[in-house]
Amino acid sequence: MLPINIWHSLKLLLIYSFIFGEAFEIPDAFQKSNHTNNWAVLVDTSRFWFNYRHVANVLSIYRSVKRLGIPDSQIILMISDDMACNPRNPRPATIFNNAHEQINVYGDDVEVDYRGYEVSVENFVRLLTGRVPPDTPRSKRLLTDEGSNILIYLTGHGGDGFLKFQDSEEITSQELADALEQMWQKRRYNEIFFIIDTCQASSMYEKFYSPNILATASSLVGEDSLSHHVDSAIGVYIIDRYTYYVLEFLENVHPNSKKTMSEFLAVCPKHACISTVGVRRDLFKRDPSRVPITDFFGSVRPVIITTDSIDIVDIPKRKSAKTENTTKSQGKRGYLPQFPIDLIPNTV
Amino acid sequence: MSKHDKKPNNDESSRMWASASFVGVLIIIGVPLWWKTTEVFRVSLPYDKINSFDSDSHYISTELIILANDAPTADAIANHIRNSLHSDVIEINITKQILPDKLRETLDAVAEEQEAVEEIGGIFDLKKHNAFYVVQRNPLFQDVWIGGERLAFFRDGKAANNLMEALRKWIYEPSVLHGARSETADTARQVRFPAGNGYHVVLSVVNPKPQKLKVEFDAAEAVENYIGSFVDELKELHNITIKSQWLYLLDFDFQPKKTADTTKVGYHYAIRHERLHLLLTKLEERAATHVSELPTINLALYVTQCDMAPAFIYDTRDLKVESLTQAFMSPKWGGVVLGSPTLEECGDGTYRPRVAPIMGTFLAQLRKLIGITDKAPIRGGYLEVLRSVSPRRWEVDALLRLRTLEQVTSAERSLKSLAKLLGEISNIVINEDVGASINTAVENIQQARDWMAAGRLLDAYRASQRAFLAADTAFMDPSLLALLYFPDDQKYAIYIPLFLPIMFPVILSLKNLVLWFRGKTPKDKTE
Repeated sequence: MLPINIWHSLKLLLIYSFIFGEAFEIPDAFQKSNHTNNWAVLVDTSRFWFNYRHVANVLSIYRSVKRLGIPDSQIILMISDDMACNPRNPRPATIFNNAHEQINVYGDDVEVDYRGYEVSVENFVRLLTGRVPPDTPRSKRLLTDEGSNILIYLTGHGGDGFLKFQDSEEITSQELADALEQMWQKRRYNEIFFIIDTCQASSMYEKFYSPNILATASSLVGEDSLSHHVDSAIGVYIIDRYTYYVLEFLENVHPNSKKTMSEFLAVCPKHACISTVGVRRDLFKRDPSRVPITDFFGSVRPVIITTDSIDIVDIPKRKSAKTENTTKSQGKRGYLPQFPIDLIPNTV
Repeated sequence: MSKHDKKPNNDESSRMWASASFVGVLIIIGVPLWWKTTEVFRVSLPYDKINSFDSDSHYISTELIILANDAPTADAIANHIRNSLHSDVIEINITKQILPDKLRETLDAVAEEQEAVEEIGGIFDLKKHNAFYVVQRNPLFQDVWIGGERLAFFRDGKAANNLMEALRKWIYEPSVLHGARSETADTARQVRFPAGNGYHVVLSVVNPKPQKLKVEFDAAEAVENYIGSFVDELKELHNITIKSQWLYLLDFDFQPKKTADTTKVGYHYAIRHERLHLLLTKLEERAATHVSELPTINLALYVTQCDMAPAFIYDTRDLKVESLTQAFMSPKWGGVVLGSPTLEECGDGTYRPRVAPIMGTFLAQLRKLIGITDKAPIRGGYLEVLRSVSPRRWEVDALLRLRTLEQVTSAERSLKSLAKLLGEISNIVINEDVGASINTAVENIQQARDWMAAGRLLDAYRASQRAFLAADTAFMDPSLLALLYFPDDQKYAIYIPLFLPIMFPVILSLKNLVLWFRGKTPKDKTE
């Protein structure tokens, strides 16, 4: 009961600070970001039924960024196990992130880009660096450019300096730092917001050395990240503490919100998370308290209204008459009788 | 006694020789062999050439031919252009000529500018890339006249200033070329698609409620004729594929607001500017544009429903957009035209979109997305309005110059970054294929550079494209990650448990071995 009370008072405090903050703040004071598009890379690295909560984590974040405007084509979702179809799932085709089973985060329009055993260190690093095999479809590529802001969210089981993938391999902090550096050198991002929810999570961003990265982690080195609560009907922990509070925060964010990144970074105080949330801001040039949260969680889609039209006088006819390549159907199709009784003589 | 003495000595020497051979095999042969075989494989690369690339020094030469009635005018114009059209991205080589008397007389006699262009085309080669003619023509209403060919008319020596402006803002656009070469993207670069081998243009006709409204529109033919003809004009630049498709039941809520106005109907529906980008997201769900290998340019004709007709877009200043076709575009994505059926058409239940204005709007959008800039009006200058699908010839030249610079710069940056990364990250493998790509890129960059300076635009463009593609393939080659599972920082974690148990006694025996060798020689002598 007590933690809930604390949370309530905190929430009130947050609302108050928000109201008063808006009264005094000048929106123009925000440092403008010069990004032109937004991408999100959301990765759940662990499989098996008892890691249900990691899938719920990543799908909840997926829902939030989608609601805030990043289109599916610019979200790369990697989920290493199919909890919705797990035989141990008492409610098949659903994944819940709350004990009351209010929101089914699986929904009916989840676009998973890498699933099952496709979620490997190799595919993850290839995705980031763009060194994918040539036959990879465009929907499985991270087609970012120099104007892209990328949100990277990782969840799973980690240790000091590594993050475990699939119970069989791990990515080290050095490999991740090198992958990001290669992205920077190829101008594949403008800014990155890196979130990681694992045990000893902050060890993963300590080796980063590329510019324009803001990183936050659910726990410091030597600490465990804890899960939030159990759903007794499903029988497993269904969400991690850090992600739970992140979602509670994101719930109140809408595409025109003026909330800032520093509010996001302070979202899970120690008494709520039990672990200490780590933040690394030395690589990031802007002041997080002046960066709107929508720079990473929302999406910019510049739209230019065009009024000019070419007034074409002669209707053109393409000279190079290529072979017809159309899928026009010839005439209307009808149904044949199910049983060709008319073919059998003397049925009467 | 001597027998006893010799035996242990013999024993010891064989033991020592045995351990010496262990040392020999393990340390003298084994360690270098291990070192050599675990080296990251990298073919030798032309690092000095890559590091000496200077992207800011690229420039393109271009030819400008001045045809004037007399030598002083030609000199005046040439000097003015030379003095005021200074840029380090473009070098204009000016040739001066006096118009032949016969041609001058015909030019003065013909009334139409278009006819005059044809007359000149009969004598001079206007088909040549990267050459532009500036011709004096006295009976001109404006100072400067520019049409679709590689030719500009000017009235007399007093038009020099306006002519220079027209050349700078319309023909050569040094600021846009600067943007192609610079580190950060300028506004033109933020709109156009990044350089590439080709693009895939898809026209989607969206009919949200086919049960209520029938749309009579031959999308396939419109794409083939309008977009296809445009694309054919650019075949020297890109390999563009085209496709059309129909999408049904894609319902998007514009949240239109009924607004009263002074038209016959008395009202219209207002679509707010902020809603438009959500339509793009909705379209993306269904357009399935990622089926193509190439980057897709999306064009969509969205048929608005009858219960919100007539619909108008309101811009950022909350003003109604007064244009025949209601349209918008998104940089690096594509364009959308809202097809609004009239009230009569709604009554009939059949909407017949007017093909020419809709395709004209799509083409205007496509031109910008491909990289043809808008031409702002200039005082005293007249730019013939474009009335056909094909781009103006000098626009194609400008595009060639732009893309050449962009591709050479991009290729150089990729190679430089790769060279830098090879220094920073030790486990990147460079195999023969990647090495060959890098060498191809380096060669083609140099070739493109030479051809750019020589003004051979088409050759330079092709070389730059080869360089760009080769550099990108080299950087993005999957084999660069061959040692992903063998990171440097974990190398010793693998080797130490493997080799330490063997090396430990060997290293410990070294001391004895050295002592024995030292002690043996004098001992032998004394005995």
